Amino acid sequence: MSRIDKYFKLNMNSATKQKTSGGCGCGSTSGTCKPQNQETAVKTTSCSCGSDSKSCRSHQEKSPISDEEFFKGAIDAAIGDERKKDGFDQVFDVKMDRRNAFKKLTASLLIGAGAVSSCTSIVSSNESKEKSQIDWEEQFKGNYKLMGDNEKKATVDRLVRSYQLRTGKNISMSSKNAEDDVLFGYAFNISKCQGYMDCVSACVEENNQDRNSQMQYIRIHEMKDGKGFNFNEADDNYYYEVPAEGHFYMGTQCFHCDNPPCVEVCPVQATWREDDGLVVVDYDWCVGCRYCMAACPYDGRRFNWSKPEVPEEEVNKTQHYLGNRMRKKGVVEKCTFCVQRSRAGENPACVEACPTGARVFGNLLDPDSTIRWVLENKKVFRLKEDLGTEPKFWYFID
Amino acid sequence: MNKNITAIFLTLSLLIALFFSSCKHKEEGYHSLTDKIQARSKHYKGTSISLEKHIEGLNLIEVTENEITFSIPTRKDQIKSFKCTECHIKPLKEMQNADIKKAHWNIKLKHANLEVMNCVTCHNGNNIDKLKSLTGHTIDFDKSYKLCSQCHHKQSKDWIGGAHGKRIGTWVPPRVSKTCVNCHNPHSPSFDTKWPARFNTQKVKERK
Repeated sequence: MSRIDKYFKLNMNSATKQKTSGGCGCGSTSGTCKPQNQETAVKTTSCSCGSDSKSCRSHQEKSPISDEEFFKGAIDAAIGDERKKDGFDQVFDVKMDRRNAFKKLTASLLIGAGAVSSCTSIVSSNESKEKSQIDWEEQFKGNYKLMGDNEKKATVDRLVRSYQLRTGKNISMSSKNAEDDVLFGYAFNISKCQGYMDCVSACVEENNQDRNSQMQYIRIHEMKDGKGFNFNEADDNYYYEVPAEGHFYMGTQCFHCDNPPCVEVCPVQATWREDDGLVVVDYDWCVGCRYCMAACPYDGRRFNWSKPEVPEEEVNKTQHYLGNRMRKKGVVEKCTFCVQRSRAGENPACVEACPTGARVFGNLLDPDSTIRWVLENKKVFRLKEDLGTEPKFWYFID
Repeated sequence: MNKNITAIFLTLSLLIALFFSSCKHKEEGYHSLTDKIQARSKHYKGTSISLEKHIEGLNLIEVTENEITFSIPTRKDQIKSFKCTECHIKPLKEMQNADIKKAHWNIKLKHANLEVMNCVTCHNGNNIDKLKSLTGHTIDFDKSYKLCSQCHHKQSKDWIGGAHGKRIGTWVPPRVSKTCVNCHNPHSPSFDTKWPARFNTQKVKERK
């Protein structure tokens, strides 16, 4: 497998010019680009890739590749590059034709133009240059799932710095990976829940959910005694003193299925199951198609129809990349079992907030954990078990 | 004839292939989540995560019940007027007769009815710094859960296992759980009704 060097890199504040080789966004690898045409094109109009015109011209020095090399490259691009790549590599380290190249270039034109204008400008401050540099690198970063630890740290550092530049406030963001020998599980005691909704409040505050649309991950359903789980007649937005006579309460949220249908349908793999069982979303990779919402049988996912807004003083500044960091408009989000808390050893905010002790959280792989005791000693069941989604969220009664 | 044999052979091999392939419908090769939990917890070695900050400033005692060991916060240092003998200098009988001010006016027993229990069901009039069991054994205030478990044995079993009550702060071992009186007022143990913590006005609009 031939590894192609990055043919393009924007390094705005560095004085050294980068050496480039191989293919170019203009499509030289496809062999359709004629050297003479290109020379004139480069001479008259500057290269579309940005300010550093050197990087685009480099391929002129090379003779056009042979058919054999081209086919080898094409196969490489199609199936050969199954190995994990990250960052720039995911975007750039693929051979592409002219059409694809232009597609990618236009998509990034705005951000690129902004970056270039501010980086070449003498008037704009160092801060705005840094901001553009961050925006640029964030635009072209890879899928979090495929990143190495260094890359994860880099993107988290960029996001923290970017927040600092924009608001002047400091946040801490973690990129802690799943721990070995941990599989998170949750149990909910229906007999104990009184419908106080303290969990909902705690969740909204912990996870920086949009205050405008009053998004909430947890729903507490009030159901009539003797009617069983009848979601059609249940009310999840009651407001009177609870528990109400003749009713019982049960909560739903993302169940972190072990066989999650939402993950299966995501066309861009922006959502996946981590090794500790958490089903997470990379908000920067999500394209907002909402297939996952349609696939989820439990109504576990929420969509940001508008830009999520949280008053600055209410922002929870202890964040995780996969958890409660600020989202943007047009992405899907959901309960992460408070990944920023649970991976640090704490209980999720809802468990912490529940005054009745209806919520039990723990490590399913630890034979001595309380969650395991519940599963082994109480009569437990899960919602829609017959679907085979294997939720890691059990209900039980006293 | 030959054709028949080939057909039978083909169907057989297809069936065998189906048999083997149908068993592995998940990438990890587990039939169900329960199987996965069983298999993967066999070699459980513990996690490197540890958390101390949630128990900072808490005095704990270790309890072992039903072969399960965990810690609970102590109680005596939480009772404002402990030790009781600072006021109860004489046995209760004599103090009731003596001409002194009425005390504990704020405590109303809202537990079981008076046929079942009164103050001295749990408190020991002759040794007021300790509690006593139904059979007259002394129980320390720090282990008051033993008192509760005399009647509420089902809840007690659940609490010891972890299905009733709350853990303090963390899911990682070692386990620290709240004891009965951390959530329930022993003199009025049931929870009051209250208003929900929030009401979603946006949802009301959307449903119109």
